[in-house]
Amino acid sequence: MTEASYTVEGMTCGHCATSVREEVSELEGVQSVDVDVESGRVTVTSDTPLTADAVAAAVTEAGYRLVA
Amino acid sequence: MTTAPSAESVELAIGGMTCASCAARVERKLNKVGGVTATVNYATEKAQVSYPNELTIDDLRAVVEAAGYSARLPEPQEPDETPTLRKRLLLSAALTVPLIALAMVPAWQFDYWQWVSLALAAPVVTWGAWPFHRAAAVNLRHVTATMDTLISLGVVASVAWSLYALFFGMAGEIGMRHGMTGESLYLEVAAAITAFILAGRYFEARAKRRAGAALRALMNLGAKDVTVLRGGEERLIPVKGLREGDVFVARPGEKIATDGVVTEGGSAVDTSMLTGEPVPVEVGPGDAVTGATVNVGGRLFVRATRVGEDTRLAQMARLVEAAQNGKAEVQRLADRVSAVFVPLVVLAALATLVVWLATGGQPEDAFTAAVAVLIVACPCALGLATPTALLVGTGRGAQLGILIKGPEVLENTRRVDTVVLDKTGTVTTGRMTLVEGDGEPLRLAGAVEAGSEHPIGRAIADAARQRFGALPAVTEFRSTPGVGVTGVVEGRTVSVGRAEGDGTTVGVAWDGEVRGRLVVADTIKPTSARAVAELRELGLKPILLTGDNAGAARAIAAEAGIGEVVAEVLPEGKVDVVKRLQAEGRVVAMVGDGVNDAAALAQADLGLAMGTGTDAAIEASDLTLVRGDLRVAADAIRLARRTLATIKGNLFWAFAYNVAALPLAALGLLNPMIAGAAMACSSVFVVSNSLRLRRFR
Repeated sequence: MTEASYTVEGMTCGHCATSVREEVSELEGVQSVDVDVESGRVTVTSDTPLTADAVAAAVTEAGYRLVA
Repeated sequence: MTTAPSAESVELAIGGMTCASCAARVERKLNKVGGVTATVNYATEKAQVSYPNELTIDDLRAVVEAAGYSARLPEPQEPDETPTLRKRLLLSAALTVPLIALAMVPAWQFDYWQWVSLALAAPVVTWGAWPFHRAAAVNLRHVTATMDTLISLGVVASVAWSLYALFFGMAGEIGMRHGMTGESLYLEVAAAITAFILAGRYFEARAKRRAGAALRALMNLGAKDVTVLRGGEERLIPVKGLREGDVFVARPGEKIATDGVVTEGGSAVDTSMLTGEPVPVEVGPGDAVTGATVNVGGRLFVRATRVGEDTRLAQMARLVEAAQNGKAEVQRLADRVSAVFVPLVVLAALATLVVWLATGGQPEDAFTAAVAVLIVACPCALGLATPTALLVGTGRGAQLGILIKGPEVLENTRRVDTVVLDKTGTVTTGRMTLVEGDGEPLRLAGAVEAGSEHPIGRAIADAARQRFGALPAVTEFRSTPGVGVTGVVEGRTVSVGRAEGDGTTVGVAWDGEVRGRLVVADTIKPTSARAVAELRELGLKPILLTGDNAGAARAIAAEAGIGEVVAEVLPEGKVDVVKRLQAEGRVVAMVGDGVNDAAALAQADLGLAMGTGTDAAIEASDLTLVRGDLRVAADAIRLARRTLATIKGNLFWAFAYNVAALPLAALGLLNPMIAGAAMACSSVFVVSNSLRLRRFR
C-alpha cells in the first residue's frame, strides 16, 4: 500500500474534482483518491506505486494538467 | 457489401454545468463513446451530438448522467404556424362570405341552397377549425377548458344540429327558406366563428416575437479578429482561435478581443457598452480588461485570461437567456375566462335539457333547446377581443414612438407598481459634456484635444468649437495615457491633464502654470425630471439603478426627483436587483439601454429599452422607446394599461351579447337570425371599442 500526492492545475469546482477522481480511480490498483480543489492537491492510495506518466495521462484525460 | 455507418444527430439540453470545465467534461465523456462526436456549448447549455444509429438518445443521456449532469431533449421549437394559419384563414373566409350571404338573404335562397351551404361549410368547419378541435381534444384529456374548447364546442354543436335538420328534419326539403320554419340551419354560424377566430389568431401569430435575437445581438458585440503574438510574430487570427494565455494586441479604436490582463502599454478603455458608464477607465500593466470593450487610447498588449464561453460577455448572454426562459408564459385572458365559462355553458345546456324533459316537453324539443344553448354560447367576437386591441394598441404605440415587440405583454394583468431606471443613457444623456470652465483655458484645451478619441477630450473640443467656432491648429501633439495630452498651440505649450482623484475634472496649464479647470460630466436629460414626475403620477415608485458610484448616482437622483438609489451594481448584478424587487412582491418595469441592462430588461415584468441604446437591450425588452426620451416611458405604461382595459372590455361585451341570447335559446326560441345578430353586434362592438385606442393620448 502506497500513498502519493500530486498537484493538478485548472480545477475550478466540485465537478472538476469528480472528473479527476474518476479518471485516476480507473488506474490499476488504485484504492482511493482524495482531491482538494482549492490547492489542486490530489492524494492517491494504491496497492503498488503508480508511474507518474500513468497519473499524468489520467489527469490529462480528465481535462487538467499535472504539474507536480 | 458493406453499408456506410449511418449517423443521427441530436441537440440535448445539458443541466447542472457550473463552469466551462464541466462543458469540456461532458464533451469528453460523450466523445469517448464509440462513434459519437459531440460539442458542448456552456453558454447555451446545449450539446450537439451526432451518434451511430445503433445507439439511442437514452444511451447518450446515461453517459451524461454518469458524469453527474442531466440531459434532456430541448423543448421542441414551436414551428412557425403563420403560413398554415394564413391558408386556413383565406380558404375559410372565401367560403364563409357566400355562405353568410345565402343564409341572411332569403331572396337568394334558390332550390337546394341548403345543400350548397353544406358543401361550402364542410371544409371550413373541419379543416379550417382543425386547430381548435385538436386543442379542445388535448384540453379534454387534461380536464381543462380554454377558448379553443368553447369554439370547438360551438362549431360542433352548430354543425351537428344542421346535419340533423338536413337529414332527419325538414331543412333538407326543396324550397326550404331560412326562418320560415322551426327547422333552421346554423352552418353559417359555425363557419363565421371559425373564420373570425382564425383571423384573430393570424394577426397574433404575425406579431409574435422572435426569440433568441437578444442573444445574437450580444454575441455579435465581440471582436471578430484579433492580432495575436505567437513566436514573437504578430498574426491576425479569428477570435475563436484565441487561447487562454495568448498575448494579443489591442490598437487604439479596436475592440478588445477577450477578457485579459494588460501586460504592456497604457490606455483608456471605453467600457460604456458593457457597464453603461461614459467615463473611460484608465488601464496599465496588471489591470484587467474586459472583452468587447473599446480601446480608445494607446496600444495595449493583453494576456488572455478567459476565452470563449468563460468571458463576461458570454456570462451576460447566459443571464439574458436564463431570464427570458424563466419568464412564465402569461395565461391568456380569453382562456382564463373560457375556463370558467365552458363548464357553465355545458351545465346550462344540461339544465335546459332536464327542465324541458321535467316539464313534459318532447325529447326532440328538449335536445333542440339544449343544443341551441351550446350554439349561441360561443362568442364569435371572442377571437377578435384580444387581437384587435393589441393590433390597434401596437399601431398607436408606433405613432407615439413606442415599438411593442411582444404585444402579449400588454395582456399582463399584473399592475406594474415599481419602475427601475438605469442611470447612464436612460436618465442621463450617457455622453460627457462640459459643465464648468470657459475662456482661454477652454479655447486652448479644445484645440489640443481636437483630435482626441477620449470622450472627455471630445467633450472639451466640442464645447470649445461651439463657443469659439474654428479652433487654432495644434502641433507636437503628445498623449500620455492616464496622464493627459500636451501640444503646441499658437506658440504656447499647453498641457491638459486629468486632475488627481477625479476623472472628470481636468486642469489646463501653459507656460508652466495652471491656468484653469474644466469639468465635464454626464448630464441629466432635460426631460428626465418631468418623466419621473409623470411616472410617479401613474402610481409607480421610481428606483435609480447604476453601476456608477453612490455619490454621482445620488446627485443625478436628486436632480431627477428619484428617492431610492441602488448604486455600484456590477453589470451582472442588475438582474438580481430586479429579481429581489419581484421577490418582495413588486411588479417591476425596467427602463435601460446598455448591454448590462439586457438581462434585467428580460427579467422585469415589463422591459423598456431606449431606442438609442444597444441592440442587446432592445432585443431583450418588451417595448422600445424610439426617441430615447424617458417621458415616453410613462406614455408606454399608460398605453399598456389602456390596452389591457380595452381587452377586458372587449371580452365582457363579446360574452355579454351571447349570454343575453342564452335564455332565448334555452326557451327554444333561437333562430339563425338571432344568433347572427348576436354575433354581428358583439363583433362590431368589439372592433369599434378597440379602435377607440387610436385616440389614445
